This record gives sequence, C-alpha cells and structure tokens, in this order.
Amino acid sequence: MPILEARSLSKRFRRPDKGSGFKGALKHLVQRKYKNFTAVDAIDLSIEPGESVAYVGPNGAGKSTTVKLLTGILQPTEGTVRVMGRDPHTERIANAHDIGVLFGQRTQLWWDLPVEESLKLLKHMYGVSEADYKARIERFDELLGLGEFMPALARTLSLGQRMRADLACALIHDPKMVYLDEPTIGLDISVKDRLRAFLRQLVDDGTTLLLTSHDLADIEEVCERIVVIDEGRIAYDGPIEQLKAHYITTKAVNLILDGPADAEALAEKFPHYEWSAGEASSEVTATYESSRFTTAEVLGDLTAQLAPRDLSLSEPSIEDVIRRLYAGELTK
Amino acid sequence: MAETTIDIRTASPVRHAAEVYRRSLVAHLRSIVEYPADFWVMASSGALWQILQFAFIAILFANVSAVAGWGYHEMLLLIGFLTLTGGTTAMLCDGVWSIGSMVIKGEIDYRITRPAPVIVQVASTHVGMQAFGEVTLGAAMFVYGWIGAGLSPALIPVALLLLACGLVIEMALMTAMCAVNFWVKGTASIFGFILVDLQENVMRFPLGIYPAAVRVVATFVVPLGFASFVPVQILTSRLSAWWLIGPPVAAAATVAAAALVVRAGLRSYDSAGH
Repeated sequence: MPILEARSLSKRFRRPDKGSGFKGALKHLVQRKYKNFTAVDAIDLSIEPGESVAYVGPNGAGKSTTVKLLTGILQPTEGTVRVMGRDPHTERIANAHDIGVLFGQRTQLWWDLPVEESLKLLKHMYGVSEADYKARIERFDELLGLGEFMPALARTLSLGQRMRADLACALIHDPKMVYLDEPTIGLDISVKDRLRAFLRQLVDDGTTLLLTSHDLADIEEVCERIVVIDEGRIAYDGPIEQLKAHYITTKAVNLILDGPADAEALAEKFPHYEWSAGEASSEVTATYESSRFTTAEVLGDLTAQLAPRDLSLSEPSIEDVIRRLYAGELTK
Repeated sequence: MAETTIDIRTASPVRHAAEVYRRSLVAHLRSIVEYPADFWVMASSGALWQILQFAFIAILFANVSAVAGWGYHEMLLLIGFLTLTGGTTAMLCDGVWSIGSMVIKGEIDYRITRPAPVIVQVASTHVGMQAFGEVTLGAAMFVYGWIGAGLSPALIPVALLLLACGLVIEMALMTAMCAVNFWVKGTASIFGFILVDLQENVMRFPLGIYPAAVRVVATFVVPLGFASFVPVQILTSRLSAWWLIGPPVAAAATVAAAALVVRAGLRSYDSAGH
C-alpha cells in the first residue's frame, strides 16, 4: 500500500485581474475581476514506503503548491490526497505526527529563542520521550554538527546553520514521510555535501522522502525516482536511471587534433558518427549512438585513423535531459 | 532536570493544547531576558499610560461627584477591571496581532503541519510587555476602588469568576478581530485596533452615559459590556445576582464565534508563493 497517494490533484488560485497602474487599481475597487490560475493540474502521484522521490520542475511549475497540498497546508480544488490513508487537510493533527516538513526558504525556528528551546518546544508538541529526544539530538549533532549552535538564538544563525537546525526540527519526531522543499537552497558546497550525506542516511534508514530542488546533484545523490512537473502537470515519472537510459542515447568523443579539424570532411570519412566543430580550430566532437557502438570501438576507430593529440569522453548529464524536458523537447 | 512529557496520543487534545500554550509562553517570557531594556521601556510605557488614565479620573472627580450615578471609587473599580482583563489579554495572546503578517508571509504553513491547534501556536508567539505595567496598575486601581467603594471581601470569589469571564471574552474577541486579517490582507490588524479603542475609550465609562442603541450593541452584539460593565454592576449591587449567568454565557458565545472565524480563516488561507 502506498504511503502517499494523490489522485487527480488540482489547485486553482483566484487572482485579482487588475489593470496596470493607479487607474487599474481604482477600477478594480469598483469592478472586481478575477482570473483563475491553475498551479497544479490533475496530478496523480503514488509513493511507496521507503522511496526517495525527487520532485523537480522549473520555477513556477507548481512544486511548492504540490508540497503544500500533500502536507495539508492547502486544500485541493479537486482531487484527493491520502497520507497513510488519511486526508492531511481534514485529519491534520493525526497526520502531523507522521510527517516532517522543511521549506528551505523559511524557518520554523522561534526567531527570538535559542535553537535548543525551539527543539524542546517541538519535542513537547510532538510528545517525544526524553530518551528518544536525547538519542535524536545526539545523532543530529554527529551528522549535522548541531551542538555548536544549539545555544545560539535563531536570528543569529548563518543560513547553513539555520538549515541544519530546521532539518532537525523537521525530523525530531522521527516522521515516516518527509517533505523537503529546496533544502539546499543558498548553501555552500561543504554544507550541501553534509546535508546530502545526511539525507542519504535518512533514506537508508527507511524514511520516505519527497524532495524538491533545483540542484540536480541533490537529486542524483539522494533520490532513486524522479518526477518532473511542468506547468502543473507531470512530464515524467520514473527511476532516474531509466530517465537516463531512455533519454541519454548518445555519447560523444571530444578530440584535439594536431592540425586544424574539418568537421565536414570528417563527416564524409566517418558517416556513422555525427560531427561538430569545437571551440578551437583543432577541436572536434564526434557523437555516436551508444546502442550501436561501444565506446572502445569508437575510440579504437578514431585513434587509429586520426591520431589525436588528446581526447575526452562526454555524455549528456541528467541536467541536459531535464533541461530538454522543461523545454518541451521530450515527452514521456 | 526531570521534565514530564505528556503522552499526547492518550492525553486529551485540550490538555495537550494548554500544555503547548503554556510552554511557548514560558519560553517567550524567558526570552524577554534577552531584551531587558525593551522590557522596561514597554512595561513602564504601559504603566505610564494607566497613570495618565488614573490622573484623568482623579481630575474629573475633583470637579464632579458622579458620572451617570457612578462615584470615584466605582469608576476606579470599572477601569481597574478593564485594565486587568485587557492587560492579561496582551500577556496571554498578543501573538494574534501577527496573524496578518503571518498570512502574508506564509508563516502559517509550518504551524498547520504541527500537531497542535494553529491558533494556539500563533497566539503564544509573543508576550505583550506593556501588559506588565498595565496589569500592575490595573490591579492597584481595582483594589483601591474595591476598598474605597466598601465592597465586602465575601465578593472576592465572585470577582475572580467575573474577571475570568471578562478575560475569556476579551481574548476571544481579540482573536476574532485579528483573524479578520485572514481575508483583509494587511499586516496591521485594523479590527484589533478598533477593539482596543472601544475598550480604552468607550468602555471606560458607565454605559449609562451613552444612547440606548450604543448600550444594546455594546452589551449584546459585541458583548464587551459583559467583559467589564455588567460584572462591575453586579459587584456594586446595581444588578441582581441573576445577572451572574450573563458573563459565562457571553464568554462561551464569544469563544464559539472566535473559533468559527479562525476556522473559516484557516480554510481560506492560501499560503504565499506558489
């Protein structure tokens, strides 16, 4: 049975349709007009216990709105959400015990209180026993280095510290289903690495995770499944490996020759590869279909006949694939 | 440090909510230590304001002997009552004033995902420091008025009940007024200010000085009358003991109304940033 199930989930917002400038604002006072804006459009999503799902899409695609619908913050316009069999909006409090939420752009720490006080307030709110609390804080300290800023006031924390503290807040009650909305936004590389390692550990321990991020390294390192959303609709849903296998069908060899490289001449000589000129005049790239040739074959072929000074291999990254998905070049 | 943790899966929701409320307020009281200057400035401004009110009444009664049949000490009793409940409201649920900014900034989000009533989490996010001055002065005026008006100590339990009802009415009305900001998108709680203004300017005087329409509205529509005027009338034997039913009923009604407003507000909440 899935831990989370959304069926034809939609959310429409009503936005005032004002003309521009002061005149438009005045007119809106008398004659109210609204436009409907569909943020999430009939989404079906099912997540099994223990899965780690990346939920990605361009800005404004409906990611945050989906997370808010799944966590019960917003009520769907149409469709249903069930988390462990419960409606998160109407059975809010029961649901709250099973979910952990982090919005990277906002903090849930009590602004004027030390981090430790916030965690203690949450401990009591969730009814976490003293023993569990101690054990979890110790673990967070070990993995996230929480101890160094436990006594600090929330408003004095750096962004990286704040995010780590917020992660501890989201997980203090050991939730089964965790939603992380951009948990690495604005963080430096070392904090990101630390956070990703922590999230991997979380997934290994069996926590179900839904993560949204613009940083594709987060996704590749932490998640196994990817859901791509664009304009409120799901554009792709499946294993990351399959996305790669399905869409990454070509590989390329970049060559630096001794003399100037002529892509057109090379295309005549090696018609089964696709040739393109590189940045420098001596650089040239051969693209081949990975289902037809092995890399060894291609390399053997090219090095024997062209004797390049240097060469490198490249394959399209998941980033390229997602960029093309966003651009609408690929469809499921 | 041994702390007891309530097992919230078995404890009653009301008890759990009260516990969350208490802990959050206590944590904020402790954080006041972080801003000692702030505390003293706010607390003394609250006290100063009440001293001004007190001076006004003293000057008024230097020239007249009664206002609508109310003498000096009875007026102090009324103002003391009002200041005590108003000040305590600011101590206990000042956080409701931030509903407007929380709605605009989407700060209600996290509170919806936690296992405690949202309004409890919002109301306990702030402690009105001016209230410490108000409550002190309010208590002083109330006690001074009580003694001066020659009220019997036997009435103390009745007074405590009436104060409790007044406090509940005031907190519920304040919550409902500030919850209007779920719809009126703005950081300033205009309706909250209106309520404070009514309490500080209109309800400071015996309702007898106003036209009948104002009296009816202030007693039965917005039951502010039951939060101060009716209780003090009962204490000064202007109304019969039967009226004691009024304040608890009004308290229950305002709580129910506030709960409805907050619930509807949360339903219409659409967060920030999509």
